[in-house]
Formats: sequence, structure tokens, C-alpha cells
Amino acid sequence: MNSEHKSGAETPVIELRTVNKYFGTHHVLKDVSLSVRQGEVVVIIGPSGSGKSTLCRTINRLETISSGEILIEGQPMPAEGKELAQVRSRIGMVFQSFNLFLHRTILDNVTMAPMDVLHIKRKDAEEEALKLLRQVGIEDQARKVPAQLSGGQQQRAAIARALAMHPKAILFDEPTSALDPEMIQEVLDVMTSLAKSGMTMVIVTHEMNFARNVADRIIFMNDGAILEEGAPDEFFAHPKTERAREFLASFRNEQKESEL
Amino acid sequence: MNIGELLSQYGGKYAIALLTTWKLTAVSFALALALGVLITAMRVSPIRPLRIIAGLYVQIFRNIPGVALLIFLVYALPYLNLIFSYQTCVLTATTLIPASFCSEYLMSGMNMIDKGQIEAARALGMRFTHVLRKVVIPQALRNSVLPLTNLLVATMLTTSLASQVPMNPMELTGLVSHINTHSVGGIMAFVISAALYCATAILIGQIGSLIDRKVRIVR
Ligand SMILES: Nc1ncnc2c1ncn2[C@@H]1O[C@H](COP(=O)(O)OP(=O)(O)OP(=O)(O)O)[C@@H](O)[C@H]1O
Ligand SMILES: [Mg+2]
Repeated sequence: MNSEHKSGAETPVIELRTVNKYFGTHHVLKDVSLSVRQGEVVVIIGPSGSGKSTLCRTINRLETISSGEILIEGQPMPAEGKELAQVRSRIGMVFQSFNLFLHRTILDNVTMAPMDVLHIKRKDAEEEALKLLRQVGIEDQARKVPAQLSGGQQQRAAIARALAMHPKAILFDEPTSALDPEMIQEVLDVMTSLAKSGMTMVIVTHEMNFARNVADRIIFMNDGAILEEGAPDEFFAHPKTERAREFLASFRNEQKESEL
Repeated sequence: MNIGELLSQYGGKYAIALLTTWKLTAVSFALALALGVLITAMRVSPIRPLRIIAGLYVQIFRNIPGVALLIFLVYALPYLNLIFSYQTCVLTATTLIPASFCSEYLMSGMNMIDKGQIEAARALGMRFTHVLRKVVIPQALRNSVLPLTNLLVATMLTTSLASQVPMNPMELTGLVSHINTHSVGGIMAFVISAALYCATAILIGQIGSLIDRKVRIVR
């Protein structure tokens, strides 16, 4: 098999097979199957409570699943311990609330896991971290603690922190939802250039223009299930389901209202 | 005796007693802190027996009087053929009890940490002990400087337990009993020790708030 080719036979980076998840009796993920190819950018959209975050979190087992299977690079997700930590280290995650380590500098935030998990020497880890901070445009903030940064800068630091582990894929759960409007774009710009550089990404977002621009595929979730999926142009122009049409319409209205 | 006579006769002894109190306090507190961190790590560990043992530890040592523990260590343990020096018994009592409070303070310091940071650490592939060592415990400690400062003062007061057993050199409370059995020091002998306790406590309080201001986590 020639892995250079993006053929159908290539092992997906992330694969979910009929995943179900219950919180108590509440059925939050319903037979979700999804496979994400190397280099693919998948954007998940859907109404609040439809299970987008939960889906994201099950991929690196921050949530356990009730049934089904999750494969990372063809290997089943280990249940716990060393092996689970090992797999997690290869899947980055960026959260809505940044979740930086508040007691450490930005530089330490980025070097902590490479030093602890990958056993990289401090000097090398710092060199790499500074390079990544430059890449996301906050090299000059390296010696500050998170609270001294704006939300947009904190989120970019969180992206650098994820990149420092050289992940195979990065999961983004509403990375701009906690930001003031004027800071959203700087984070989206970083994500766009990551997408262009070939990073495999799964992104939950409400930024529809961004989704349309960077996504290779849009996934529309509703009530715990994937209701629709397809290329962005196709999805935004001709949503197949009534529910997706309603959802997009509600968005357009919201946008119009905020423009007024 | 008046204060002048007391100081001229016992001044040197007060100095030594003060240093002894400080030494007992420092050693007890350092041990209590280390033990408190360990107990706290056990309380949040994924291993249930460890959680149960640590929980029991806290319930027991938070709720027994220091004197009772000391009496147990000094007079009951020898029946089990466990004989320790008086100093060891005192230090054990003045460590085990503050350690339980230390753990309580660390637990509430821990509750102030946003769960998101722990998830971020796990998502980066850090294992439980690393998350604890690098993210949770350091922040719990920084969040608990003021209660731990109070605990340090309380630990100092607990070292007065040493007066209940023969110790050489004596600490502040032991010296008061000594003075009052050998000469008539009266209330003045006590007042001097009390003043030294108070002065130390005030000093500890000042240093504590200084440290707190320096290490407190800005959100
Ligand atoms: N820890 C939890 N315990 C119980 N129920 C939960 C938990 N987390 C999420 N849920 C429920 O699961 C459902 C899906 O939640 P989820 O957060 O995945 O939705 P979402 O699509 O990300 O929504 P939003 O757009 O508001 O972020 C919701 O009904 C939510 O109330
Ligand atoms: Mg969500």
C-alpha cells in the first residue's frame, strides 16, 4: 500500500465507529460514526446541546463512551494508564476557556508537557516553544503569566501549547466563543494557517464564515446524531435537512441583528 | 519575682526556650506540610484504598486532642514494646495533627483550581502523578498560603505539648512550669513566654501575607 496517496485505503487519523454515549439515562451521542483523514479539516456545527463538545471530548477520552469504538491511527483507544496518556499526547486539544496553567509563565505552559511527557531537555523545549510562540504571534509574551494576556493571546498560547507535542491532530472546542469580538479574528487566522499547513483538525465552532473557508467537510449535529455531512459549499448552499436549514437561518438572522 | 529579676536570672533560658520552640515548630510544620501533601494526593488518587486510608487519617487526627495523642504515644505505646524518645513522641504529635489540617486546607485550595486546567494537562498526555505534581499541588499550595500561615501559628502553639514531658532543652511553656516549680516566677514568668509566642505569631503572620501576595495566582 502506498501511503503517499490519499487513497481510500489510508488509515484515518481519527475514526469513530457507532459511538454511543449516555450521561445517566440521557442519550447524548447516538450511533456516531466519523472518520478523519490525515490533513483533513472537519468542522462540527449544530445547535446548543447537540453533543458537539461531548463528541470532541470522547475522541481523547476526556469522556468515556458507552458503546462503539474509537480508533486513533487505526489503534483502539486504550482505557487508561500509560497507553492512554501516550495516545492523548498525540491528539492536541484547545478549549473554549483556554485552560492555561495559571501559575506558570506562557513559556512554561508550552514546555511543560514536552519536558514531562516526551522527556525533551529544557533548553530544546524552550527553543521549540519560542518558535511556536513566534508562529502564533506572541513571542514577546513568553515570560508573562496567563492572566497578563488578553483572551486572544491566551488562546493562541493554548494553540502553541498543543502544537508543542507535535500532535497528529488537534481538536478545537469552540475556541473563539469566550473571546471579545475584536480578538476572534486573530485566533481564527492562526487556525487558518494551521489548516493550510496540513494539520489534521476537528473544530467545533459557530463561526460560519470561517467554517466555510477552512473546512474540507462540515458535520451537522443535532440531538446527539450526525444529521448531515458534506463539503462546505454544498452544505451551506443546499442543506439537505429541514433542521440544518432552520439552524443556518437562525444564524443568518442573528448575524443580521448584530449588524444592525 | 518581677520582670527584671526574672530576666536577669532566666534571660538566657528564655532565649534558648524561644529557639527550641522555633525549632520544634519548624520541624513539625515541615513534616506536617510534607505529610499533608502526601495525604492530599492520596485523597484524590484514583486508587480507592488510598482514598479511604487518607480520609480516615484526616478524620482521626483532626478530631483528637494533642494531649491525648501525646499521652498515648508516651504511655501506651511502651505496652506494645514501642518505646520512643520524648522528643520523638512530641514531634510525632505536633506533626500528625497539623498534617490533617494541612490536608484540609490543601483540599479547599484544590477546589479553587478550574477543572479545565486538569483536563488540559490530561489532554497533553500528562499522567496522574505529573498532573498532581506540576499543576494541582503547586496551585493548591499557592491558594492556601493564608490558612497554612495560620496553621503554622497553631503548630507553634501545639509545641507547648512538650511541656508535658521531660525535655532538654525546654521550650517556652516548659520553661514557665520549670520556673514556677523552682522559684516563684508567678504570672510574670508566663507573661514573658506569652509575649514571645505572640511576637512570633505576628512575625509569621506578616511573612505569610507577604508570601501570599507574592505567590497568589492571578486569574
Ligand atoms: N458532564 C455531563 N453530565 C451530564 N450531562 C451532560 C454533561 N455534559 C454534557 N451533558 C449534556 O449532554 C448534552 C450534550 O452536551 P454538549 O456539551 O456536548 O453539547 P454542545 O453541542 O457542545 O452544546 P454547546 O453548543 O452549548 O456547547 C447536553 O444535553 C448536556 O446537557
Ligand atoms: Mg459545547
